[in-house]
Amino acid sequence: MMALQIFLLSIFLYIAGALLSLAMNKSEKTANYASAGCAILASCAGMVSAVPVLAGGTGFMVETAGIVPFAKFAIKMDPLSALMILVISLLTLATAIYSLSYQQEYAGRGIGVLGFLNNLFIASMILVVTSDNAFYFLVFWELMTLISYFLVCFEHNKKEAVHAGFIYLVVAHAGAVLIMISFILFYLQTGTFDFSSFRSANLSPVIKDLAFVLAFFGFGAKAGIMPLHIWLPQAHPAAPSNVSSLMSGVMIKTAVYGILRVGIDFLGASVWWWGLTVLAFGAVSAVFGMLYAMGENDLKRQLAYSSIENVGIILMGVGVGMIGIAGGQPVLGALGILAGLYHLINHAVFKGLLFLGAGSVIYRIHTKNMEEMGGLARQMPWTGFAFLTGALAISAIPPLNGFVSEWFLYQSLFLASTTGIPAVKVVSPLFAVMLALTGALAAMCFVKAYGVAFGGPSRSDRAREAREVPGPMLAGMLILAAGCAVLGLGSPVVAPYLAHVAAAMQGTAPVRVSAGLLVFPGSSSQAMLSTSVMVLLLAGLLVFPLLIVGIQGGTKAGRRVDAVPWACGYSFTSRMASTSTAFSQPLQVLFHPAYRLRTILLEAGHRIASMAGKSVVYIERMDSMWERFIYGPLARSTIRLGQRMQVIQVGNVRWYCLYIIVTLVVLLTATVR
Amino acid sequence: MPGSTLFLIGLVQAVLVLLAAPLFTGLSRTLRAKIHSRKGPDILQDYRDILKLIKRQEVVPAQAGWVFRATPYVLMATVLLLAMMIPILTLQAPMGLAGDLIAVVYLLTVFRFFFSLAGLDSGSIFAGIGASREMALGVLTEPAIILVLFVIALLSGSTDLGTISQKVAAGAFSYSSPVVWLGMVAFAVATFIETGKLPYDLAEAEQEIQEGPLTEFSGRGLALLKWSLGIKQVVVIALFLAVFFPFGSAAALSFSSLLISMILFLLKVAFCYVIAALLENSMARLLLFKAPAVTWGVFGIALLSFVFYVASS
Repeated sequence: MMALQIFLLSIFLYIAGALLSLAMNKSEKTANYASAGCAILASCAGMVSAVPVLAGGTGFMVETAGIVPFAKFAIKMDPLSALMILVISLLTLATAIYSLSYQQEYAGRGIGVLGFLNNLFIASMILVVTSDNAFYFLVFWELMTLISYFLVCFEHNKKEAVHAGFIYLVVAHAGAVLIMISFILFYLQTGTFDFSSFRSANLSPVIKDLAFVLAFFGFGAKAGIMPLHIWLPQAHPAAPSNVSSLMSGVMIKTAVYGILRVGIDFLGASVWWWGLTVLAFGAVSAVFGMLYAMGENDLKRQLAYSSIENVGIILMGVGVGMIGIAGGQPVLGALGILAGLYHLINHAVFKGLLFLGAGSVIYRIHTKNMEEMGGLARQMPWTGFAFLTGALAISAIPPLNGFVSEWFLYQSLFLASTTGIPAVKVVSPLFAVMLALTGALAAMCFVKAYGVAFGGPSRSDRAREAREVPGPMLAGMLILAAGCAVLGLGSPVVAPYLAHVAAAMQGTAPVRVSAGLLVFPGSSSQAMLSTSVMVLLLAGLLVFPLLIVGIQGGTKAGRRVDAVPWACGYSFTSRMASTSTAFSQPLQVLFHPAYRLRTILLEAGHRIASMAGKSVVYIERMDSMWERFIYGPLARSTIRLGQRMQVIQVGNVRWYCLYIIVTLVVLLTATVR
Repeated sequence: MPGSTLFLIGLVQAVLVLLAAPLFTGLSRTLRAKIHSRKGPDILQDYRDILKLIKRQEVVPAQAGWVFRATPYVLMATVLLLAMMIPILTLQAPMGLAGDLIAVVYLLTVFRFFFSLAGLDSGSIFAGIGASREMALGVLTEPAIILVLFVIALLSGSTDLGTISQKVAAGAFSYSSPVVWLGMVAFAVATFIETGKLPYDLAEAEQEIQEGPLTEFSGRGLALLKWSLGIKQVVVIALFLAVFFPFGSAAALSFSSLLISMILFLLKVAFCYVIAALLENSMARLLLFKAPAVTWGVFGIALLSFVFYVASS
């Protein structure tokens, strides 16, 4: 019972931190310490309550009558919930430490309110992943959406933030409606809102399909799968960076949790095409998410697009797992889910880290545009180091954590193409190819992010004058950077816990995935991977170049650090260095159908103006094809429909009276009959 | 085989590739001169170049950060690790427990990542262009490489490179099968692109962008980088040989069999270099935006091989 008390303590601390912060809004420093301090303690309590369950404990469940007559308030901690709590708490710990200093960026703009919203946001996420009743799940889901909406719009004097918040709210609610309908389908069958009865619900196949598809798209809208991703690249960058970190790191994962809950826990992943659908949407999101991330010059937007990619990779794992369960292959099921969950943790850690890194840059130079950064690794060496770690991890560079989870995904796809049903066998290798393409694109994208923002010459005066960020912010980032290394090198320790979670979801015995320093996909004859051996060998092999240089007397020759890069004899200026736009240009040409390039040349007589030495403004903007082919027409036709309907608004009171009477008559005849 | 023996074989492979790489790049230069009807350098010239460069003072642009300075060392360690993980002398991957073919492909990405990052970090415009091309080329070739390797792994039932080598050497699948020979063609072209030979030396184009990411390197950094690029070429060819022509590699462990397989390996790589030299010198430079036509073709062939695999299974 201890675990339950600690869990409740953690929720209590979040809420206490929120209220204290709000109460002390006048004194911003105290408010900030109160909210961050409570969040740190609460996240530690959350981890303490979750770890025993992951380590093989039984979990707990509490029920009370609740405030509404038709639904019980139930909290349940099973291994999947425990994993989610662990991930949320881990990221909360890092962002809370980070925000001790970072919140000063918002001094005078209501730090107390920010802390209040932030703590409630985290509490609502934790309650979403532990609720065991559909009604309260939706209440907390909605709370999470609303609070994050306020956080997105926190800088409400910025037009783009308000616009982003609006789109977010619309898409999130469209998704919530789908989830509600899905739950109502369960309710109609079982007569209660309890998840425990949903699990044993005996739905007809058609209703099952419908419930799954509705839940998938409902949660998918929140997870940011293509083509429902439209809100994500706008909303995540608009929020303060510590909140972006939480939104990208864990909030979109609650949607993955929802898909796992409904698809596997309630419906038992009984039909193979569900898994294939999830896999396909995941793969498309992964490839296109990364393509659009490539085209961005805004550091935070780029990170947001790459969240779409990573959610895609997580869903690919989930999809393979569902295919495995549907086909009665527990090993494939476990491997797929393991790959998905592993990437879920990894993405929380490295995306959290990268958003915090972006926040540090913004904290110092107050711009999100990469082309105004440059050379920051010299002024901010620790931030640069942490960001590079995150960039390496997200590009799936061995031996860091991103590689391990993608490796498991490759192995599960390999297993699916040897033992799956024919349709799955045929397509699985093609999904592996899409994963490879995603990996290559991610590497290119993050070479660009680090190389343009942190490498090369300083591209603006503000970048030249940047300083390292304060200690707490560094601590927050370095915790997550260490997390990338630990989750990568410690894969033989981490993987069995995830296999345990996967086994608990399937109700089978755990698959063996590790021995000693090795991890393997069920059987070591299929493949082996040992990131720790890799690191040992790499470190050992570094002896060769050092020895070669040493023996040949290379160090004696010394090093001269005064030169500027060669520029064909002209004097070098920082504007000559490669830019973000230039770096991604080959891909914009190669994959041009996916983009919509808009170039604008301001000033009508630009030719003459440029000859006369006047400055000419050139703007290049890139939109995605989804905006062009889906959302543009959708928005336009909605407006057109609205304009048609305006016809009945004549502005004459007598007409309106007539409408009321007609409506009354229609309603009366409909009910009396 | 016991772990310590395997580790030793791995180490021998790393040292072998390390020592042999300048010989092969030298061979490439000699052949090139012969085809151009020039006298050209002798085959050992690259050793002399590297040793001389190490002794020279290093000049580093003030803009460059620590990534730029660390890259030569990181790259050499990475390619040497690859040399330990690929079956070269035996039919077993000596350090197969460190990772399978997916790890090998991703380690090649590590090379690319740091190579191109160092280019951007130097601040030079030529290096920036080269960096961008290097990564774009990776995007174009990696899907084809993974597809071919995946199909071959499916035929062998394992993604372990040693298992694949053993199956191929035992004649488990015939070269007349379109799955194998189409895959081989696709992989051969992809290997050729990966070695950065002339029509695809887009990233390090000497004549066009001053050797791209290498532009700002000098002294020992340049020496190590040139050496690592040479080792990478040999490693990529070794990967091709391990998957498609592992014949002659030692199945059992004895000194004589290892010696024979070492000589055979060197001959096989030399043969590949001769073919590459003929191709390289009979072609003109390729426009960057013409490269996708070729890589899509490679991917198409790989896809065809996969279709045959699906049809035959």
